Amino acid sequence: MKWNLLIAFLILSLVSCDQRPIAKVVAIDQNGLQQALVADNEKIKVINFWATWCAPCVEELPYFEKIGASYKNQVEVILISLDDAKNITSEVQPFLENNQIRSQVLLLDDPYAAEWIPIVDQHWDGAIPVTLIISKDKKQFYNKALTYKELEDAINEFL
Amino acid sequence: MKTLKILVILLIGGLAISFFSGMLEGKERNNLFAERPAPYKEKKNASAAREISTIKGYDIGDTATDFSLKNTDGSTTSLKDFKDAKGFVIIFTCNHCPYSVAYEDRIIAIDQKYKNVGYPVIAINPNNPKEYPTDSFEAMKVRAKEKGFTFPYLLDAGQKIYPQYGATKTPHVFLLQKEGKNPIVKYIGAIDDKYQDANEVKNTYLENALQALLSGEPIKQTRSTAIGCRIK
Repeated sequence: MKWNLLIAFLILSLVSCDQRPIAKVVAIDQNGLQQALVADNEKIKVINFWATWCAPCVEELPYFEKIGASYKNQVEVILISLDDAKNITSEVQPFLENNQIRSQVLLLDDPYAAEWIPIVDQHWDGAIPVTLIISKDKKQFYNKALTYKELEDAINEFL
Repeated sequence: MKTLKILVILLIGGLAISFFSGMLEGKERNNLFAERPAPYKEKKNASAAREISTIKGYDIGDTATDFSLKNTDGSTTSLKDFKDAKGFVIIFTCNHCPYSVAYEDRIIAIDQKYKNVGYPVIAINPNNPKEYPTDSFEAMKVRAKEKGFTFPYLLDAGQKIYPQYGATKTPHVFLLQKEGKNPIVKYIGAIDDKYQDANEVKNTYLENALQALLSGEPIKQTRSTAIGCRIK
């Protein structure tokens, strides 16, 4: 009997884990950024620029995680970190593990921000956090930190 | 046979529980990071200020406002105190932002190079110390001493000044030149185009603008963008 209980709990603990694995950060350059910004035919892309040291960014990350999980069939969340590439193993990846981040995470390793800021949006002044929502026929740029409600409302406008 | 039945029941029960706990987890996920305790009213004001800063702010050619802000050396600093200055390099910067920290040495170098020819640096921390404790006035004093800042390092207490300038992030530069008594905005943007390494900079936007002002030529690039930490 004890064994049965044990087996049941083992199965229970396996199933209750979130299916999505913890994100693994991938470094990209300007070309990688261009690709990330291309609209997808099926899903709405939600692209957030952030950094581990940016307090308002870290505050809103759970909202993006929640959106990614709740709208997983309609929305693809991409978190683009602007952390320094030399901190990937020392800071960024541990941060993702500690905070259980499961959305796709890219790290833009290109210091010449003046070149790629206008590629993201011509109205961007370079302050983070910042969020971009792209579908095949629409693009919306949010030059501010978002609340969960603001983010969800923004996505509903695209659905 | 009986044990098998119990096992199956437990399995189904386990699945059901895990399903519901998954749902609960989804709902509670937004509490993963505790929100900073801040009075509701203050929060509202802060977001209003942020909106203003994105709407208004100076354009090239506008007259910049003077201010009277607390300096880390204990004095109070205003633009009008600098009678002999031809202009000012106003830099919104702070302690907590890695981009600001990366530029500290370059800001000191610019001050030392251009103060003597009439363009002193004035650094202003626009952040609310309640949002970033490392940007408190006490912490500013410590940092100014540690790095040996050669310029005033002021706190925008009450956050009245940065929205008027239209600063949105740190570091954010506003280069002013006096025309008569009025400080006129001549350049807005970044110090240069590579924060990590001063030796690999391609464009020294701020210095180019300063050189143009000194030689009486028009500034070729009056605006530039760079990544920065949003003012909060």
